[in-house]
Amino acid sequence: MNLFENIRLALEGLRANKMRALLTMLGIIIGIASVMAISTLGSAMTGSVTKTMDKIGGKNIMVSLSPKNYDTQSTLQEDDLITQEELDAFRNTYSDQIKAISFSTGMGSGQLNSGFIHKDVSITGASPDYGLVNNVNLVQGRFISNRDMDGNRNVIIIDTTLRNNLVGVDGDVIGKEVQVDTKSTNETYTVIGVYEKMVIDNPLFYMGDDTRVECFIPITTAKSLNPDTANTVGYESFTIMATSNTDSAAFAQTTKDYFIKGMSPLSDFTIEAQSLEAIASEATGMLGTLSLGISVIAGISLLVGGIGVMNIMLVSVTERTKEIGIRKALGARNSAIRSQFIIEAMIICLIGGIIGVGLGSVLGITGSTLMKFPSTPPIGPMIIALCFSMAIGVFFGFYPANKAAKLDPIDALRYE
Amino acid sequence: MRKKIIEMRGIVKTYYQGTPNELEILHGIDLDVYEGEFLSIVGASGSGKSTLMNILGALDRPTKGHYYLDHLPMENVKDDGLSQIRNKKIGFVFQTFNLIPRSTALKNVALPMLYGGVPRSERSRRAADLLQLVEMSGRSHHRPNELSGGQKQRVAIARAMANDPAIILADEPTGALDSHTGRLVMDIFHRLHQEQGKTIILITHNAELAEETERTIRLRDGSIVDNRRNNQYQLGGYYESV
Ligand SMILES: Nc1ncnc2c1ncn2[C@@H]1O[C@H](COP(=O)(O)OP(=O)(O)OP(=O)(O)O)[C@@H](O)[C@H]1O
Ligand SMILES: [Mg+2]
Repeated sequence: MNLFENIRLALEGLRANKMRALLTMLGIIIGIASVMAISTLGSAMTGSVTKTMDKIGGKNIMVSLSPKNYDTQSTLQEDDLITQEELDAFRNTYSDQIKAISFSTGMGSGQLNSGFIHKDVSITGASPDYGLVNNVNLVQGRFISNRDMDGNRNVIIIDTTLRNNLVGVDGDVIGKEVQVDTKSTNETYTVIGVYEKMVIDNPLFYMGDDTRVECFIPITTAKSLNPDTANTVGYESFTIMATSNTDSAAFAQTTKDYFIKGMSPLSDFTIEAQSLEAIASEATGMLGTLSLGISVIAGISLLVGGIGVMNIMLVSVTERTKEIGIRKALGARNSAIRSQFIIEAMIICLIGGIIGVGLGSVLGITGSTLMKFPSTPPIGPMIIALCFSMAIGVFFGFYPANKAAKLDPIDALRYE
Repeated sequence: MRKKIIEMRGIVKTYYQGTPNELEILHGIDLDVYEGEFLSIVGASGSGKSTLMNILGALDRPTKGHYYLDHLPMENVKDDGLSQIRNKKIGFVFQTFNLIPRSTALKNVALPMLYGGVPRSERSRRAADLLQLVEMSGRSHHRPNELSGGQKQRVAIARAMANDPAIILADEPTGALDSHTGRLVMDIFHRLHQEQGKTIILITHNAELAEETERTIRLRDGSIVDNRRNNQYQLGGYYESV
């Protein structure tokens, strides 16, 4: 008796009781479907989180000075700031974990004017590494250089929509002079680069609809324009880009400890360092809790489903006692009877599993599409779900099958 | 000298052994059957015919005594071995047909071959041949509930022949049939006996049918009380040489 013959026999048995088999499968279907739905949704979510993280720099650690106490008014003192020397020392200590460090400072919003064109923009002072660290996608020209920094040059990087407004899609904007008016200043800048704005289509990373165009100027230029910061020599915030094999959450802690040691205990300020990965894992952790809850429900329904299968198999063994007796009289070994019933249970569960996987995938895809995550049903969980449903069949089918196998042939034949 | 295919010595069958209502059904049966014999077993209801038949057919084990099938001592054979013996050496025909209701005639006939490991195409081919032998070819794709009693029994006989067994054991095969249909079934047994040389053991309540067989054994309360050659086989035939 080979496997194929057993499958044939089992299918014959099931065909005789289609409705009953289907009802029996219900628990398995619900269990597998919910596991499948949640894992489809989960993988869609984590997939898109990972993708977004790659886009915005998952390995980034944001370091900033922040007040120890938000209730009292604290002002930043000159010696609270982190100096270039301190940073260089830090960078040397952890050179194998740091890829780049960038600085930036918001200059607020303003208006960019060129001829008759007036556009609302927000101005960010940035260091040369800002482009690398924040994945600025330069499509034309160049980003800020060290010489721009040293010379406090009035150079600016604008985005593609602004370029299109100024000179059209095909126009050459590099070298063009534009006027930027903010609260405190109005200066003329030379356009040195054009970047394409990053589109983040992940609802978990929704950052508000900022329709203003962000333009970059050298951070030194920005600082010199602000009377408050014109004469300072340190930074109150910066972003570290960790190397790809660094545990950025752990390195954030290392960074924090490192800089706190260098601070005066009397200062009103302390250092905060947070990795983007940690922020994102908070978002996915929430999903983890949710899927744990659903998995428990799925587990219970699989258990109930399994018991249902066992029950129906016991009924089936009793109903078919005479048939079992006939088969034994015709020379079926105990093992042949046992595998016939186990395979029947497995097939019930497998069919239930297949329906469950199908239903769950549809639910998962629908759900993630509604939540705007692009998704495909994950193959791994699919295979695991199918194997697991067969395992349920073996586990819950074994007892009834063994009962059938052990029937005495004469008692079975005499059964009415 | 014919080959002895069945040898029973002192076969005892006891039910509820070791309990107060212990019940001894067979009291030391001695029985020899030769290859190619057509034997009938008669006796009142409850005399132990079916019990004896179950032991002969390796469906049951005696409580005491020795049973040699084809010189093989059955007490040494494990359960799986008994399954194999039932599959290869014995064909059962029951009073109530015992066909599998969900399966077609063809599949029923093929079933013993399935358990005997015969390949699928070979099974169908041979099952079709056997149905032809019992003149049931036209009904090979019908299920048992679409067949008359006589037709079912013909399918059952074809099934008993599936693995070309040496012995056919038939427990009241005509008991559920009218006399005309019973006659047709009986003719098939005669044909299998004469044309294929099968050893056939037939349990029957019908004295006329028993008379048609070569030898009749009478059981009374679990003992053999009579063992004689029937009239038409008295002279000549192989009994002279036994
Ligand atoms: N499994 C069993 N447990 C207890 N007693 C049994 C069992 N099987 C048979 N018997 C008893 O053994 C005796 C012989 O039964 P058996 O079936 O062999 O009779 P039989 O000669 O075939 O009768 P019939 O002609 O009615 O078929 C009966 O008294 C019956 O009650
Ligand atoms: Mg009987």
